[in-house]
Amino acid sequence: MSLLLMVLLSVATPSASDAVTPVPEQGRVAAGRYRNAYFNLSYPIPAGWTEQPAGPPPSEAGAYTLAQFALIDSEQRLRAHVLITAQDFFFSLIDMDEAKELVAAIRRGLEPVYQLEGEPDQVTIAGRTFHRLSYRAPRSGLRWRILSTDVRCHALTFTVTGADPAALDAAEQAMRGLSLGGKAPLCRGDYNEVVKKTDPRFPTNRYNTIPVRVIIDAGGRVKHAHLLSAYPEQSEAILSALRNWRFKPYRVGGKAVEVETGLVFGMPLRGDR
Amino acid sequence: MRLRAVPVVAVSTFLVVFQVFAQVDPGPRGGPANAGGPLPSVAGNNDPPTILDFFNAGQEAFQEVASVKGQVAGATDDGLGPRFNGLSCVECHAHPTVGGSSPPVNPQFAAANAAGATNVIPTFITVNGPVREARFRYIPDAAGNPQLNNPDGSVHPLYTIAGRVDAEGCTAAVISQPNFTAAQANNNIIFRIPTPVFGAGLIENIDEETLLAYRASLTGNTLGITPNFNRNGNDGTISRFGWKAQNKSLELFAGEAYNVEMGVSNELSPQERPAGLEAKTSGLPAPCKINKTPEDHTNFDETPVDTISDVAKFAMFMRLLKPPVQQVSGPNTVGIVIGEGIFTEIGCAKCHNVAYTTGKSNITTSLHNVEVKLFSDLAVHFMGSGLADNIQQGTAQGTQFRTAPLWGLGQRLFFLHDGRATNLVDAITAHSSPGSEANAVIANYNALTLANKQNLIYYLRSL
Repeated sequence: MSLLLMVLLSVATPSASDAVTPVPEQGRVAAGRYRNAYFNLSYPIPAGWTEQPAGPPPSEAGAYTLAQFALIDSEQRLRAHVLITAQDFFFSLIDMDEAKELVAAIRRGLEPVYQLEGEPDQVTIAGRTFHRLSYRAPRSGLRWRILSTDVRCHALTFTVTGADPAALDAAEQAMRGLSLGGKAPLCRGDYNEVVKKTDPRFPTNRYNTIPVRVIIDAGGRVKHAHLLSAYPEQSEAILSALRNWRFKPYRVGGKAVEVETGLVFGMPLRGDR
Repeated sequence: MRLRAVPVVAVSTFLVVFQVFAQVDPGPRGGPANAGGPLPSVAGNNDPPTILDFFNAGQEAFQEVASVKGQVAGATDDGLGPRFNGLSCVECHAHPTVGGSSPPVNPQFAAANAAGATNVIPTFITVNGPVREARFRYIPDAAGNPQLNNPDGSVHPLYTIAGRVDAEGCTAAVISQPNFTAAQANNNIIFRIPTPVFGAGLIENIDEETLLAYRASLTGNTLGITPNFNRNGNDGTISRFGWKAQNKSLELFAGEAYNVEMGVSNELSPQERPAGLEAKTSGLPAPCKINKTPEDHTNFDETPVDTISDVAKFAMFMRLLKPPVQQVSGPNTVGIVIGEGIFTEIGCAKCHNVAYTTGKSNITTSLHNVEVKLFSDLAVHFMGSGLADNIQQGTAQGTQFRTAPLWGLGQRLFFLHDGRATNLVDAITAHSSPGSEANAVIANYNALTLANKQNLIYYLRSL
């Protein structure tokens, strides 16, 4: 008898108000590309590279591990790998609003074992600005190239790592073929003008943080909610409550438009907000 | 002469080839245990006065063998059972010295039939395998089939006291071992091995603010690492002991273990503990509730050091137990030094955070504002389907585990929560599977030269 029916256990998982609207963790590989509808991303997987095991679910602090690919040689040694991650700025544990700040934070946090190959700079890939940081580790011979860009109030980051500079070049070169971004709601971290709300009631205190990305339509109603991590009863309570929330419509040039923002239920992420 | 020389050449060629093709774990570091004994301020200064007496009393209690009524030869403590995994704390926390983890010879073999007990040794308990406790994913029905609408997760002790000379009416007719055969056949069982308790007081005294600040510092890390903390269900504070960081304090850790692992009721777990379906329905059979409860309690007529309960003694012993000491010497010294850098470079140190600093201590100066080189962030992490045990404890889910502190790793015999690995190479690679936060770090490991993988192993065996 198989015991794969672990869904019966009550665990915190991502969930959403509908199954149609794209969410960040639902990317997939098809026809040699990694595609992610939420970010409108299409990444060409370099020739010979293979998809690696998936990462963890979205975190309470808004971190996503989207995909990982690697080049493995005939002797089964890994030549290089690329990890695609995203950090939702609405739920970050430290103050940051731009990919540039995320790269600067990585730069500041580098331990002395690493050697910079230059200060952070900017490059244009597929018509978008990427913030780049390159460094290496002399003992292991590994090199890192971090390329991060802003999409829908996330830092979308490609981390290329390996000891083979040619493989790293190939991975970076492949990024020239990516496409990214497109029509999406505006995102505003400070948009909290709720005019009507009912707080969700949870039957038990789980002591967890529940980050929720919401898209608010031009009429001020919650059009879509994406819970990055919530227990089933919390998800049900939040989605039920949000149906009755009303926001002051967000206006651009006097015209009401869709807007995307973040809400936190349960345990606060940080003490200062 | 010529004939004798050939095999020598052949052997050395083999060794060279072997080193080229695979990194190897040289095995547990020999020599004296670089752990155990009291903290410096306890051993050297007895600071504050009498604290060394409490450490010694705790250490003695930790090694006491329990029987049901304290009347069996060789046993100096009472309260064993009616269900249990071991006869003393030190049985499981034995290697490389008192306070450690599984010893080379599994004491659960001898415990099964001690004092006439008639237990059948489950197949997952082997003479040279790790000490194990068993947990069921779902509560089984009377036939041993898991009830999928009835999640369990609790410990099902291996043995009962039935047949023991001191078990009186608690016979095999009224109490039986769990149906481990059915549990294994139904994939309804997982295992845990003992965690070492060296340096536990230092871990207990790390402020929550320190833990939270470290977690925040990992924001935006490019390895896919997403730490979280398990939290005490009663007050929401960060818990930190056990494989899933499910226990808040050493006293809770000791009180729960005394009852769950040895069956000794105490002031933190006052009732004798039934298991599985028994716990949900009838409770323990009356003939098996032999002693007054709690069996371990405050002793009002004793000297000051013996007034406190065994649980309080255990907790104080663990709290005052000094941490393991790294050993950088021998033929692999150069490799150890290089391996230390590799450990940080490839990202191991992000979760296996090398050191925290403790907060202020009201216990003794060796716990007060000192560096703790534990190699853990004390957070729980998603470790993937390969390591998942599908047991939820507090806010730690089925695939989440606390970053195991690596201090003392050099002398450990068994690795990972269930002891499945007996060498560090297997333990490292098991960190990668679908859903694991460690996948990118293991990819970095896989990108290392064989020489550097070997240096990393040498470093880990120096801890």
